[in-house]
Amino acid sequence: MNTEAIKDLLYKIADDQLILGHRNSEWTGFGPLLEEDIAFSSMAQDKVGQSWQFYKILNELGESEPDTLAFMRNAEQFHNCQLTELPNGEYDFSLIRHFLFDTAELIRFNMLSESSYEPIALLSKKIKGEVKYHTMHANIWIKQLGSATEESISRLQKSLDYAMPYALGIFEASKFEATLKQDGVFEGEVVLKTTWLAQVAGILEQTELTMPSIDQVQPLVGGRYGNHTDHLQPLLDEMSEVFQVDPSADW
Amino acid sequence: MSLKSLDPRVGRLHISEQEDNDKTQKGALDQFETYEAFVQVKEGKSLDHVGSVHAPNEEMAFLFAKEQYTRRGMYCNTLCIVKTENIMMSEFSDNKISVYDSVTVNPTGIITEEFEIFHMFKRGKHHRFIGTVNALNFEDAMANSKVFYPSEKPVYNVWVVNAKHMLTSDDDDRDIWDTLKEKQYREAIDYKGQDIIKAYKEKIAPD
Amino acid sequence: MYGGGNVFESMKATALADEDPIKLAEFEARIDRGEKIEPKDWMPQLYRKQLIRMIEQHAHSEIIGALPEGTWITRAPGFKRKMALMAKVQDEVGHGQLLYSAAETLGKSREQMLDDLVSGKSKYSNIFNYPAFTWADSCFISWLVDAGAIVNQVANSKGSYGPYCRALERICAEEAFHLKYGHHCVIHLATGTKIQQEMMQEAVTRWWPPMMHFFGPSDKISVHSEILMKWKVKMASNDECRQQFLDMYVPKIWELGLKLPDDSLRKNTETGQWEFTEPDWEEFKRVINGDGPCNEERLAVRRIAEERGRWVRKALLAPDAKYVAPLA
Repeated sequence: MNTEAIKDLLYKIADDQLILGHRNSEWTGFGPLLEEDIAFSSMAQDKVGQSWQFYKILNELGESEPDTLAFMRNAEQFHNCQLTELPNGEYDFSLIRHFLFDTAELIRFNMLSESSYEPIALLSKKIKGEVKYHTMHANIWIKQLGSATEESISRLQKSLDYAMPYALGIFEASKFEATLKQDGVFEGEVVLKTTWLAQVAGILEQTELTMPSIDQVQPLVGGRYGNHTDHLQPLLDEMSEVFQVDPSADW
Repeated sequence: MSLKSLDPRVGRLHISEQEDNDKTQKGALDQFETYEAFVQVKEGKSLDHVGSVHAPNEEMAFLFAKEQYTRRGMYCNTLCIVKTENIMMSEFSDNKISVYDSVTVNPTGIITEEFEIFHMFKRGKHHRFIGTVNALNFEDAMANSKVFYPSEKPVYNVWVVNAKHMLTSDDDDRDIWDTLKEKQYREAIDYKGQDIIKAYKEKIAPD
Repeated sequence: MYGGGNVFESMKATALADEDPIKLAEFEARIDRGEKIEPKDWMPQLYRKQLIRMIEQHAHSEIIGALPEGTWITRAPGFKRKMALMAKVQDEVGHGQLLYSAAETLGKSREQMLDDLVSGKSKYSNIFNYPAFTWADSCFISWLVDAGAIVNQVANSKGSYGPYCRALERICAEEAFHLKYGHHCVIHLATGTKIQQEMMQEAVTRWWPPMMHFFGPSDKISVHSEILMKWKVKMASNDECRQQFLDMYVPKIWELGLKLPDDSLRKNTETGQWEFTEPDWEEFKRVINGDGPCNEERLAVRRIAEERGRWVRKALLAPDAKYVAPLA
């Protein structure tokens, strides 16, 4: 078992979930409808909770404690894709991001449920159901808003066009693609992306939205190896503001 | 000039004075229609009314009810929703008198529709699902229910819903509740502080 | 979170003489028996109006109450606190939803209630007009403001209106973790490092005066109050609630080594009553009528959230939609 390869995989998953969960939690109390506010907050908690579980596996593999990993690293040490760190914008962007990211997550966890590395397989099987609800939610919202009014359609389209290059960054190749595949740990980002493209297109076909031509979109990568936008460091500074008052304290 | 706040999230909303002066009134139904939600916690347990949600349609109502009414607790087996206007309600009775005492007709025996029956056994408590009857209409459903679901305790109110209006979660989707029991951070038992207080008192106690 | 029981404007006692005496007698007999009133029952106008106002203000308090603690959601230290605070603030929004539904059964739409909130017409619990300067402030709120709310809620849960009782049952069950979480946070700060202790003490000093305002001014028994108590709308006097709160929580605050900024605060061992410096009720009136540190911000945030979400709601609204009040 190649520990470095597995850690690489775990870090990117955990960091994605932490950063996106953190972003989504910013909507609590500000949502467009009370019931939706509640639903979105649950999904944010799920993400942060899942990242916690992945950091625990990393800790067992010799990395630091989850709190330290989450609250003490700087931007260049994070492995989340840039899509997750972008500011929330308005609800159209947040929904599009939720749709694009969560569709990939569910496929990823379905794939990882078959992983030869047992801790990941067990955790993936456990949380699949949660992520299934997330994709149900996203699909229903995109289908409904994507066919509703001129305003809702044009807002979603703009957000979709803006988000797509970043979304492709989810599938940035790992240094360990070959090893992970060979060892049966993870089939890889190429398979994931192919499945994802088909599913995203399938949902968008049921709306008035147009799927961007993927071959004409330049993926925005770099997040997996510490190259981030200007948004990440301020996010981390804010997230760790109280924790870093005294990292050794018991809060 | 934008609103300064201690909350960094509020700062990021970039609330400008100008925008905040737009005090347009909302149209009616800005908060959508109403749906009633019912939950069965575990196989074999009762299906109970839990509350209502506002939603634009059934799909959304289901998404909302799932989080508003089943995000806590250990288990959830089934979630049902019904558009509120599809619930037919009997009169209310009180003081140990059952509403069924005022039902004087017999079942017609004409079977055209299936109706789901819910009983309120105590004022102040939620309605509970009792069973299904085959009947012609609301009055006939009440008459059937009186015969087929007799109750020792008085029933103070009855809801009757045509089965076709009752939307139930898919068995295949039960896995969305798999991790409920793991969410200890939402439970009081996860926050034990007495030991810390005790240790603190011992530490600061004068020798 | 906020427990209601206070109505911040005085109501004109609608002439009960106008109400049908037979129906009124049946209604009162039902309440005396301990049976709950349900939405389709006959009820006096005063009962209906008072309940709408009370439940509505309780709902607004939950929604607005989410904002001071929400200030610290993105900055909660450590996973445990992060998850818990997210869940707690979410619960507050959830409680608002439950309470609006209960109020709707009495005949006022949720749109109308939300409009009245953001226009400033309807009131909400005053304590949320104060700023949460530090993490310790959010911990104070989570523990002691919630504790105050629970005192009110437990009292009101024995009230006479069915839908409100059902909502409160669910709310009380969810609140159990809020109180424990808040206390847990304060314990950690108060017994922690020097910086943590100082942060907590400053927060306590800051928040104690608004906390003493929380239950409202002393209410002399008026004819008005008497009827509302008879109808089990008002379940306990402001003074009773305040005493209960002080009795339960001042010892817990003191045992953590925290000091309260009131030298007169003590329990009179003969009367069993807590004595304290009379709070500044002029300040209370000022703040509740709009002149507090955060009133403007709280309402502006709600207004903007509504406005920016409008395109979403408009897009989803079906042309043939019909309004129906929640049934229960």
